[in-house]
Amino acid sequence: MSEQLNGKKIIQIIFSEYLVLVGIAMLVLVTAILEPKFLSPQNLNNVMRQFGPLIMVALGMTFVIIGGFIDLSVAGMLSLIAVVTISLIEPLGQVPALLIGLCLGAFCGYLNSVLVVISGAMTQAEALFITYGMSVVYGGLALIFSGGSTKQMSGIKADTSLFKEIGSGNIGILSVSFVMFLGILVLLYVFQNKTFMGRAICLTGGNKTAAKLAGIPINRSIAFIYTISGFMTALGAIVLFSRVTTASPVIGKGYETNAILAVVVGGTTLVGGKGSVLRTVLGTLLVILMSNCLNLLGVSVYMQYIMKGAILILAIWLDNRKQL
Amino acid sequence: MNKKIKIITMLLTALLVIGLVGCGKTTPTESTTDTPGEDTPVGTTDEFEKIAFIVADMANESQAFASKQFQQYAKDYNFEVVILDAKGDAQAETQAVKNAIAQGVKAIFVNPNDINAIIPALTEAKQVGIVVGMFSSDLPADKTDARDFFVGVNDNMAGEAAAQAFLNKFPDGANIVEIGGQSGHDAQIKRHDGFNNIISGTNINVIDFKATNTWSTAEAMAIMEDMIVKNGDEIDGVFCHWDNGATGVIQALMAADMKDVFVVGVDGCRAGFNQVTSGDQSVTIMQNFTTMTQKSLEMARKVIDGEAVEQQNFVPLDIVDIGNIDTFTAPEW
Repeated sequence: MSEQLNGKKIIQIIFSEYLVLVGIAMLVLVTAILEPKFLSPQNLNNVMRQFGPLIMVALGMTFVIIGGFIDLSVAGMLSLIAVVTISLIEPLGQVPALLIGLCLGAFCGYLNSVLVVISGAMTQAEALFITYGMSVVYGGLALIFSGGSTKQMSGIKADTSLFKEIGSGNIGILSVSFVMFLGILVLLYVFQNKTFMGRAICLTGGNKTAAKLAGIPINRSIAFIYTISGFMTALGAIVLFSRVTTASPVIGKGYETNAILAVVVGGTTLVGGKGSVLRTVLGTLLVILMSNCLNLLGVSVYMQYIMKGAILILAIWLDNRKQL
Repeated sequence: MNKKIKIITMLLTALLVIGLVGCGKTTPTESTTDTPGEDTPVGTTDEFEKIAFIVADMANESQAFASKQFQQYAKDYNFEVVILDAKGDAQAETQAVKNAIAQGVKAIFVNPNDINAIIPALTEAKQVGIVVGMFSSDLPADKTDARDFFVGVNDNMAGEAAAQAFLNKFPDGANIVEIGGQSGHDAQIKRHDGFNNIISGTNINVIDFKATNTWSTAEAMAIMEDMIVKNGDEIDGVFCHWDNGATGVIQALMAADMKDVFVVGVDGCRAGFNQVTSGDQSVTIMQNFTTMTQKSLEMARKVIDGEAVEQQNFVPLDIVDIGNIDTFTAPEW
């Protein structure tokens, strides 16, 4: 009986804590059987490149959700940063354009945090509306800046360039964007687990009142949360337009929902306080693999909508069960 | 915190100013034509009749460009144009028609989000004597009495023209793939149908087809990458429903070192022109929004002046390739 209970417990743990791994394993197995080319080096290279933009945004979103907030502004922000940065390559050069793009992302994120703090938005629902409003503002600014048209990456004459390398370059067998991701993952992991502010963000998300009483600087935590999200969105924008070589003023559309999906499916709890950037990596991998596998298997885009929605609902349901 | 409030107030004010300045120039939710200059017809702005162009979604760059064309050419037909943006929302578009009625416009031009949902509002507009012109997409065949005329391209013909380009290029047959625009979108459906009506039964095999979630370059690129993995060197050609999507297709082909693939896109936008000029894209099927706008304004002027007009006006599509691209003016959008 005891053994049966232990077995049941193990299955429960696997399904509640590591369901995303089970999902990835099943997806890989089924697709590899039905379409052997799935495991070809070319496809794995494609997956690695498709992974780049979303993982950047999702890693930033992880801190927002761990902190007990949400950030819907990433869609508009990504569009704004992409059109601004790509437009600045020709007049200013690649490095200044890159730096301005990153600073713009951090600034937009900080602006979000200031709005959240001064409006007293201490719940996820309140932050949702504020960041949605900012997404509309950033999206509008992207349209104004671009005149409503797609910006193309011009002004780069050399065969080798910073943005071309980010978009299509390799370091050994890994793409440049994937190496960037690995470096950033290490930094964010250390930040989350080994620094005071990383732990302060977790405590803020767990219980704001208790955190405040314990001397945690809540407002500074919020500033860090949204600034990281803005900076990571900027990195996502740069990886994305470097890959496709153009930036439309609506290029960020859908990134907010996909990033939240990746974070929640990975296992970071929506109520805040608990989560990990490593979990988000798994969540993002599942989202990217799902599109890749369904494309290879010839499944229609309508079915992809249904599957994404179903996976999100399942992840939230499991998350709620864990809270009980 | 007071300091922060001051900073945020200043920032929001700056945003507002930038927004207002920008709106005056390019992509307004509601804007009007500039005051006529010295070269405009004699008279004051009061003598221009007010019309409204209701845009399905200003975030769609072809529609943003069309709105600029309305602003540019309205005065040539003695009109002052108000631009209303429905932001991709069928309900907001209905409301925009009602707002135009309330503003007492003489004519409205609608680029519909939903060709069925817009009908009651258009009927209401017609009942109060407003001239109704459909722009780019027409109403269903049995509901055309809710408008006075339609001006646009035939998206079925765009698909057919793309198919013909493949038949001309590959008389001995070929394997091609198709990447569709936004799933369920009127243009995506018609381009797909037109393309397949011509291609089916020929020696051109469509070995893979996939539509996208949105008109996203990144998504088109990801789908093309996956199609290359699946079909590899079997692919002789790609039909992508829009030129900006073809940009992603070309990037995927370059990454796979597939240089001789015949790529056909639709739109004739700046990206398409650049790609045809550089040889990366073989053909772009061009829709001319300037001609479409001028024709719409001409039709409205005639109806207001009591002249009879043709109800359905298809603006011809131009097939642009490296051989004739110099004969076309490069588009602004």
